[in-house]
Amino acid sequence: MTQIVTERLPGPGVILPTVRIVFATTGVFVCLAAAWAADSKPTPEALEFFEKKIRPVLVERCYTCHSAASRALMGALLLDTADGWKRGGKSGRPSVVPNEPERSVMLAAMRHEGPLKMPPGPPLSPEIIADFEKWISMGAPDPRTEPAKLPPPPYNFEEAKKFWSFQPVKDPAPPKVAAAEWSRTAIDRFVKAKLDEKKLTPLGVASKRVLLRRLSYDLTGLPPSPEEMSAFLGDSTPQAYEKQVDRLLASQAYGERWGRHWLDLVRYADTSGCNADFPVPDAIRYRNWVIHAFNQDKPYNQFLREQIAGDLLPIKKDADGKEILEDRNDKVVATGYLAIARRFGSRNNEFHLTIEDLIDNAGKVTLGLSVSCARCHDHKFDPIPTRDYYGLYGIFQSTKYAFPGTEIYPHAKDFVPLTTGRDAERLKNYQKETSGLDDRIEDFTAGKLGKELSKEEKDKEMARMKERVVVLERKAPEVPRAYAVSEGTPTDAKVQIGGDPRKGAEVTPRGFLTILGGQKLPSEEKGSGRLELAEWITDPSNPLTARVMVNRIWQHHFGKGLVATPNDFGSRGERPVNPELLDYLASRFRESGYSIKAMHKLMVMTRAYQMASGQNERNASIDAKNEYLWRFDRRRLDAEEIRDAMLAVSANLDRAMGGKHPFPPETTFKYTQHVQFFATYETKQRGVYLMQQRQRKHPWLEAFDGADPNASTPIRTAGQTSIQALAMMNSAFVEEQSDALAVRVGLAYTTEADRIAYAFRLAYGRAPAPDEIRESVKYLADARAALKESALPADRQPRAALASLMHVLLSSDEFVFVD
Amino acid sequence: MANTQSCDCSRRQAVRSLFTGSLLFPAVLQQMLADTGDSLAPRVPHFPGKAKRVIFMYMPGGVSHVDSFDYKPKLIEAAETGKKTATGRLYVRPRWEFKPRGQCGIMASDLFPHVANSLDDIALIRSMRGDHNDHFQATLGIHTGSVTVARPSIGSWVSYGLGTENQNLPSFVVLAPKLPYTGSQAWSSDFLPGCHSGTLVQAGEEPVPNLTRRAPTQKLEELELGLLGRFNRKHQQSRAADPALAARIKTFETAYGMQMQMPEVLDLSKETDATLKLYGLERGSTKGFAWQCLIARRLAERGVRFIELIDVGASNNWDAHGDIKTHEPLARNVDQAAAGLIKDLKSRGMFDDTLVVWTTEFGRTPHADSPEGRGHHNNAFSSWMAGAGVKRGIAWGQSDDLGARTAENEVHVHDFHATILHLMGFDHTRLTFRYAGRDFRLTDVAGKVVQGVLA
Repeated sequence: MTQIVTERLPGPGVILPTVRIVFATTGVFVCLAAAWAADSKPTPEALEFFEKKIRPVLVERCYTCHSAASRALMGALLLDTADGWKRGGKSGRPSVVPNEPERSVMLAAMRHEGPLKMPPGPPLSPEIIADFEKWISMGAPDPRTEPAKLPPPPYNFEEAKKFWSFQPVKDPAPPKVAAAEWSRTAIDRFVKAKLDEKKLTPLGVASKRVLLRRLSYDLTGLPPSPEEMSAFLGDSTPQAYEKQVDRLLASQAYGERWGRHWLDLVRYADTSGCNADFPVPDAIRYRNWVIHAFNQDKPYNQFLREQIAGDLLPIKKDADGKEILEDRNDKVVATGYLAIARRFGSRNNEFHLTIEDLIDNAGKVTLGLSVSCARCHDHKFDPIPTRDYYGLYGIFQSTKYAFPGTEIYPHAKDFVPLTTGRDAERLKNYQKETSGLDDRIEDFTAGKLGKELSKEEKDKEMARMKERVVVLERKAPEVPRAYAVSEGTPTDAKVQIGGDPRKGAEVTPRGFLTILGGQKLPSEEKGSGRLELAEWITDPSNPLTARVMVNRIWQHHFGKGLVATPNDFGSRGERPVNPELLDYLASRFRESGYSIKAMHKLMVMTRAYQMASGQNERNASIDAKNEYLWRFDRRRLDAEEIRDAMLAVSANLDRAMGGKHPFPPETTFKYTQHVQFFATYETKQRGVYLMQQRQRKHPWLEAFDGADPNASTPIRTAGQTSIQALAMMNSAFVEEQSDALAVRVGLAYTTEADRIAYAFRLAYGRAPAPDEIRESVKYLADARAALKESALPADRQPRAALASLMHVLLSSDEFVFVD
Repeated sequence: MANTQSCDCSRRQAVRSLFTGSLLFPAVLQQMLADTGDSLAPRVPHFPGKAKRVIFMYMPGGVSHVDSFDYKPKLIEAAETGKKTATGRLYVRPRWEFKPRGQCGIMASDLFPHVANSLDDIALIRSMRGDHNDHFQATLGIHTGSVTVARPSIGSWVSYGLGTENQNLPSFVVLAPKLPYTGSQAWSSDFLPGCHSGTLVQAGEEPVPNLTRRAPTQKLEELELGLLGRFNRKHQQSRAADPALAARIKTFETAYGMQMQMPEVLDLSKETDATLKLYGLERGSTKGFAWQCLIARRLAERGVRFIELIDVGASNNWDAHGDIKTHEPLARNVDQAAAGLIKDLKSRGMFDDTLVVWTTEFGRTPHADSPEGRGHHNNAFSSWMAGAGVKRGIAWGQSDDLGARTAENEVHVHDFHATILHLMGFDHTRLTFRYAGRDFRLTDVAGKVVQGVLA
């Protein structure tokens, strides 16, 4: 096909049409003709030579792989601008050295002299090579000084909008189903309709015992206590189950469990991820903010707004019209979401990677789209052009991120004081002066500063600066501060060719994804644009945000999402198994003012949620993966649940909310890439409060498939490894909880049978069967006999025998699986 | 001791039968799990690979190529005439003498004398290039192919592709006295299933976390495992056909096997004096690269798929900014052991199906960083491969006259990875894993098999 493309030309700014033949199948662009205005420097003859002899060859033989329009830029080399060959490709050497043909890699490649032989295909003719040699000898005149322009994105957006997830959310009426009595709620009717359609027979309802255990773990990550179980079993009112739902949703443990799901998504960590993995003691404020937000049932749209732009939102005022500091602080802390983005290197000069990490995370988490694929090229599968990526990039680039320090710049800066007045000033001044000294020391070390000084003077100045740092550190202000963001210098971003910040092309206005509306920042906006971004993402007409979140809630109740790829609602993701149900849920979510707790209740009150987890051969032959929910899927507890459940049944669990980690004092942070920060802090508080660092996972979380602190974890895998089995058999942690559980049941009851029964009720939520008691009693006798041969003192042996039985209970399948 | 061993075996069988009982047959189970990649069951590669296993030696900090394997007479000349780089830095003379070695006559210095004398068995690569000049990123690059965000390690990819031959040992073992740059991310399975993560084995009381039996007596442990097996079986009886339950029961058997076998792997008492001498290991010592190399051979014999040896940690390593002479004690630690391993593998007939790889973060600058030291240099460095499917006694690729840039047959880290996978029987473009909507591979979107080093 042929299309006319206008190309902006240098010099007087004349726009002339050029004809571009686009071979749609191969993506080869051939520029046939172009007229050029004269540049001030090269002579018209030189330019004519370029236009006649050089440009056509570049266009025809090089641009496919080496231009802004390349589908895959090769070797990071651009040949469609003069700047491109001046910078060179991956090697960082210029491809052409003007006036020096023999030092020009491009010519050597054309001549097939070295390892690099270019272009691929038939070699260039000797005449063409001679032209290039002449051109380089002429000083390589090249009028292509304008930033490269990207080709139009290869999507038809109207067509693309027909894809299911970009369609507006509908509000389908629950289908009418035969055997209407099966359904308890509207959701059930959607489920049952699918089951009927696939000729699947749903299993019966689970027992009350199974239900409460399931519900407790799902909502709080903890097992029901024997007392809670008894109360539920003894409650024969019709509201018995609902009362339990309400009780669990109101508990602090709820936020700790569901906050953790969110922290998985946003790859929360307590260290920065830089080469030395600097600790970030203040990251926990964001972590606790998330837990509080779930417990308060903060509306999901507000929850997102505050994380993206909390610092820019209006602050609540008291009766006197004075801004309430707590409210302001809360919103600032929420932007910790942006600050915890992964950091790279030791210098802070790879910040484009941090911004990529942010765009990647925000895209996947809030929209279910892999936006960051468009960093280097137009997205191959979804309608996300590179321009859109840099539209978002500009917003995040216009933001200032708290900096936790690195090897080279060890002092924190740009943290936001959580106070006002003098204290806030003190913190700001301290950060400014210490980080300023870091910069200056590094500039001296690198020889950028102090060139005019003698060695002696330089040494003296270095000593003075280091002395000053010590003096400042001694009086480091202890002012509460947040690992958060603030407004930076608002600017639109240049498109980076191939994702390389040194290869800037056209400037792209800050805005939102074209496929979701393509809103741009209003011209009167003087800020970064985060406020608008938060609105675009949470706009009720955005078809993705609500769908993505209800799918996550569903996933954590039913074991998998209606869309099985919760971070990918694009064309490479799975299609929803029950699209009407997904939209029904999204509509209810919107209707409830985005109440997450309301969604939980809607889901767990269904019959579908309360089904048994058994087997049915006939169903399995039709739907082996249980996609249509003919049963409830059994699941293994996750890393934190196993740990917390062991602590809970052994009565060792500290239910207090986690505070600061025991990091060394910040003024002692001298970590380098050679001596990185590594620590494991044990705590008896819940697993969500464990210190999680980026360079090395906590051993327990690593063994049991904990979240990846470097990348969004939408689904926890539940693998079975021998490393897990070893942890179960031999870890000090499991041994400690086994012993504590033995002490607990030993103190509570005097007979073996009673102790065994209590242990079963604690660990499994049920009483043991008679044969289990018999087997356990016999086991205790055998264990005591075996212990006689151990070095253990005789009076410790009975306790050890009981602990050994507890060890078996805690490592058993029944303990770590939920029906 | 002899009858203890047979006793252990019968015990193990007894315990094993307690575990498995009337469960699914292991073969069925393995098949159920194989589909998900969440299994270490042996798998067939794309085509028959020459190598069945890899021993991957990695030197943190960056070994100087111009002082070890890349002979540069012009660099000597440049240093002697006081020539300077464009930025005004003086060239540094290589500190060790170069000589032609063996039948092949390849030039190598006295820095690694034993390895140099083994060059007839080695394919030396002098045209390596990486993507990054910093430790962290280069470490990540040589392990995962990515110099920015963490990805699965090469050992994890091999484990994912091939599974393992010995279910009692991990498929991917890392022997490292200290953590390298990037910490455990260097051997992480990242988005691949967790069973493919490297298991760090260190000399000492507890070589693998939680390996040491906690139960006060072995008898008690067996009782515990027996009761656990009975409880689990009972639990499973009413929940038939759940592969997760079956798999979990199997892991305890494997863990028990590992608990029994790992001490046996680490027990060098049956190795002869001659073998210890070959590696330069004193009897009773668990120190140094010699110990690591000998353990690597024992792991290889027992079917471990990928064994990585890291000689030192993130500090006091090959990062010779101050004085290149600091390479000497480090090389002494590595040299005889690495050459000894090659000889030992040869004498045991394992050299034909074991691939030995030696590599580092990057090379070092031909010019001075401080008067006696060299800086980081990813634009040219040296590595070597030996054993299964690899040519012997060749030097592949060249750097330029000063060792500053690759000049001929460049081997990018992606190419290096593609070649290792090829030797294991994989087309590197087809060994993929779907994650976050994309098919990822070790070599990203690049990589060419280095045909020149293939036998």
